[in-house]
Amino acid sequence: MNCARCLLRLQSPGILAASVRAAVRRTAQHQLSTVPSGITPHTTYSQTLRHFHGSTALSKSQAVPTDQEEKDKSLITYDDLFERVARETKTKATFNRVVDVFCNRDIRRRGHVEFIYAALKKMTEFGVEKDLTVYNKLLDVFPKEVFVPRNFIQRMFNHYPRQQECGVQLLEQMENYGVMPNMDTKVLIVQIFGEKGHPMRKFQRIMYWFPKFKNANPFPIPRQLPEDPVDLARLCLTRIANDLDSKVTVHQTPCSDITESGEEVTYPLIVGIQSPDQMELLARHNPERPVFVEGPFPLWLRKNCVYYYILRADPLPPDQKVELPYDPERSFYFPLQLDLDLDRDLGDDDSFDVDDVDEGPVFAMCMTSQGNQATLNQWISGLQENNPVLGLVPTLFRLEAGPAELLGVSDPDPGHGYRPGGAEETQTGAETEIVVEEEEVHPLSQRGKQ
Amino acid sequence: RPPCALLLRGGLLVPCCYGAASLCSAVTGRPPCALLLRGGLLVPCYFILFCFQAECFPYPEISNEELEEINSFVAPVEKFFAEDVDSKRIDHEAKIPPETLNGLKELGLFGIQVPEEYGGLGLSNTMYARLGEIISLDGSIAVTLAAHQAIGLKGLLIAGSEEQKAKYLPKLASGEHVAAFCLTEPGSGSDAASIQTKASLSEDGKTYLLNGSKIWISNGGFADVMTVFARTEVVGEDGVKKDKISAFIVERAFGGVTSGKPEDKLGIRGSNTCEVSFDNCPVPVENVIGEVGGGFKVAMNILNSGRFSMGSAGAGMIKKLIEMTAEYAGSRRQFGKHLSEFGMIQEKFAVMAQNAFVMESMAYLTAGMMDRPGLSDCSLEAAMVKVFSSEGGWVCVSEALQVLGGLGYTKNYPYERYLRDCRILLIFEGTNEILRMYIALTGLQYAGKVFTDKIKKMKKGNVGVVSEMLGKRLGEMFGRSRDLGLTGTDGVVHPALADSAKKLEQNVVHFGSTVESLLYRYGKTIVDEQLILKRVADILINLYAMTAVLSRSSRSISIGLRNHDHEVLLANTFCTDAFFKNNYWMTQLQKNSLENQDENIKKIARQVLEKRSYICSHPLDRTF
Repeated sequence: MNCARCLLRLQSPGILAASVRAAVRRTAQHQLSTVPSGITPHTTYSQTLRHFHGSTALSKSQAVPTDQEEKDKSLITYDDLFERVARETKTKATFNRVVDVFCNRDIRRRGHVEFIYAALKKMTEFGVEKDLTVYNKLLDVFPKEVFVPRNFIQRMFNHYPRQQECGVQLLEQMENYGVMPNMDTKVLIVQIFGEKGHPMRKFQRIMYWFPKFKNANPFPIPRQLPEDPVDLARLCLTRIANDLDSKVTVHQTPCSDITESGEEVTYPLIVGIQSPDQMELLARHNPERPVFVEGPFPLWLRKNCVYYYILRADPLPPDQKVELPYDPERSFYFPLQLDLDLDRDLGDDDSFDVDDVDEGPVFAMCMTSQGNQATLNQWISGLQENNPVLGLVPTLFRLEAGPAELLGVSDPDPGHGYRPGGAEETQTGAETEIVVEEEEVHPLSQRGKQ
Repeated sequence: RPPCALLLRGGLLVPCCYGAASLCSAVTGRPPCALLLRGGLLVPCYFILFCFQAECFPYPEISNEELEEINSFVAPVEKFFAEDVDSKRIDHEAKIPPETLNGLKELGLFGIQVPEEYGGLGLSNTMYARLGEIISLDGSIAVTLAAHQAIGLKGLLIAGSEEQKAKYLPKLASGEHVAAFCLTEPGSGSDAASIQTKASLSEDGKTYLLNGSKIWISNGGFADVMTVFARTEVVGEDGVKKDKISAFIVERAFGGVTSGKPEDKLGIRGSNTCEVSFDNCPVPVENVIGEVGGGFKVAMNILNSGRFSMGSAGAGMIKKLIEMTAEYAGSRRQFGKHLSEFGMIQEKFAVMAQNAFVMESMAYLTAGMMDRPGLSDCSLEAAMVKVFSSEGGWVCVSEALQVLGGLGYTKNYPYERYLRDCRILLIFEGTNEILRMYIALTGLQYAGKVFTDKIKKMKKGNVGVVSEMLGKRLGEMFGRSRDLGLTGTDGVVHPALADSAKKLEQNVVHFGSTVESLLYRYGKTIVDEQLILKRVADILINLYAMTAVLSRSSRSISIGLRNHDHEVLLANTFCTDAFFKNNYWMTQLQKNSLENQDENIKKIARQVLEKRSYICSHPLDRTF
């Protein structure tokens, strides 16, 4: 409803525009000749404005005064404007004030393209890069009606390319930060660039794909990761294990203690996870075959990387696999096996699966803030309470030197989630992004999820 | 010996079917017209039908003396249930009053099948089924009595020694002692391997000490004699000690037996269901039923033999419901018409009548076959009767309630109680799912024995077998008539039912080739294809039901029973209905058939179970 009303309201200025068009055109000749003298055009309802906007773009580096009060600085860069207004604090409020200042300074919004580009760049600094209202406010800086094509020729060619480009760029940044446009955005775009301009197309593409991708990940990560290392470890472990029965155990909460000799001892965090199935598997494990503690393996959660360790064994060699013998006195009601000498027909045997690789069993997983053998040993002895077989099985530690400083649990700022993968991204950023994707399909987690 | 009856079946039955032509005439003195035999002898690949034993035709009869005898039993029981049983009160107070129980005891209903020498009524299965029709009018009483004699003391009857019988049966038959059957445990429903109750032999070797607990024991609160199953250590043939299950007769008086609080149930509220715990309960060695370590077969035989009466019970209940609802439908007026004039109400009565008819036919056919000398094991047929009648009963009770609309939903009418009571039929004595597995796998096991050689030859590419197969398929395609000898001059089915008999024959032939192709495709791994097994079981149940109604109504016409034309009508309607259902299921069983949704069904279930919840977004959810 809202949208329809807005769009209806748009029609009337269009009619208005048509009626003034004739008058404007009459003055156009006159305006053209007066440009060098510095007189600005009276109204924006003119196609001839294109020349002026073109010229401002060209004169970006030239110190052309646009503002009476701040003649020296205003157009050198708009970055400066942001710096000056928000000298002490960079918040959404100050950002909005800058935009207001720009809008109020000149009714003609001269240099708005440059201003918007500058504002887009500054958004991360002000922490508003994910704020839809700010994007809408920025879009509102564009003068309305001016860039709407009014005949088929304009519609055919790229009408006001720099302005449209700027609008697309703004939407692009929204897209990169995962900000979904709303109806206000659409109304603004229609008012500024018309129903079929490039920004509108961009908007439509975003609105087509964003909702489709929004819930595409079957294992969504919360935007805000828990701050508490125990909660974070719990989240990570349940995420990898993907067994609703599995139980998380906090074997040791992190704390520090001072011994009698005055030394400070810190006890690292140990959080483990094990499911009843895994316990059963471990209980059946042949005590003569060793089990391994391996790690650290990385797990990426948005921008954070955490590490985990697993307790596993090698797959059984085929000759040692024992199948439980068929017990005919097992089921009271129906035979569990048929006494037939017929096997499954090849045409109906779809058991072949390339993903079905014979891997060793994983018995348990843990996360710790200190990945050394002593700590992991503590984990194993904690596991032994419920898995007495661990007392008999030789346990080997196969640890690699893990980058402990990257531990997510000690990450001071685990909050910022989304990292844009746009063209402006730095090399490292792009790399991280790729790693994230690889981690998502890590064989371990993958197996759990299947 | 009864405990081995099931095993006998595999070994003994097949040869006996080959020779059944002569056997049949020897026993019944009539020409051997059994459908299965005919099919079997003429067309070897329809051996699947050995599942239905040889004697579906003619329909079993009882003698005039027996009929008089049973009627003399039925009349007082009917009177007692009509006048002295207050089902509403039993349901409300969740207890059967002692005077009602005493009345049942006086009528001898606690020992219906106990031989007369032990003080019981010594009735045959057929007569037991007849009494079951009346007893079923109160679910709580029916379950109490069934737990007592259909499973509780059945172990003694079929596997007990003379001394055990002499010691326990007289008191049980008189109702002085009540029996219970203790098999289910918290961790063990149908899986014998997870039975935890242990019986360990004392040092002097004279008593077993019983330890463990059993749940959902009907009559568990007051039973004096219990059949308990527990693990015992047995030295096997190879000298290795193994845990095997044994059956014990345990008296409450032995000590160490405690009962829990009665469960608060949905239906059959008057029956007592509770947990029974054994704590070092001493059981003398002579109280072992059968052999030590032979408890598994005892349990299986008890369970298999306890089911057949459920068909007549369901039929009895529906017949009563038809009377009650018909009165309402005939008297209530809406829009100037009686309810009975509306098509949709009429349909409900047709469904009820048809179901009652089919259940009755199946139940008494099965009971009659069980009563025949020689072939005593009818567990497969009994399972089919149980599945059909429990599901039919549920539908019919629901329809009866629907006729009354809102009134039926209130406690002023007995319909809601019937609805609650009959829900248990789908669950106990083996859930219908488990029984379907039993039906399908038993059938496939027979068929497999016959088909294996042929399928193996076919897989090796034997030209002769393949071309024979092709010829058969072509023949089927062009609608070659399939005559298994049900109709015609030597036929056993009355000409009024010829069309239905043809449909049955066509189904049977088609089913034979369907089973053959299933075995070709899946071999022994068909055990894991539960959705396929379910359809196989459903088709088998329908085929048996068709056979039963054809047999029964043929007899009715031939001897001119009252309203036999109504029976013919019911039989023809049911057979046509079942014929199309069977055809649909068999189409689903074909490879790559469009009608088969199994893959989708499994996928839906997998996705839901993975998350253990309904995973769709709410229809009001938005993404932007």
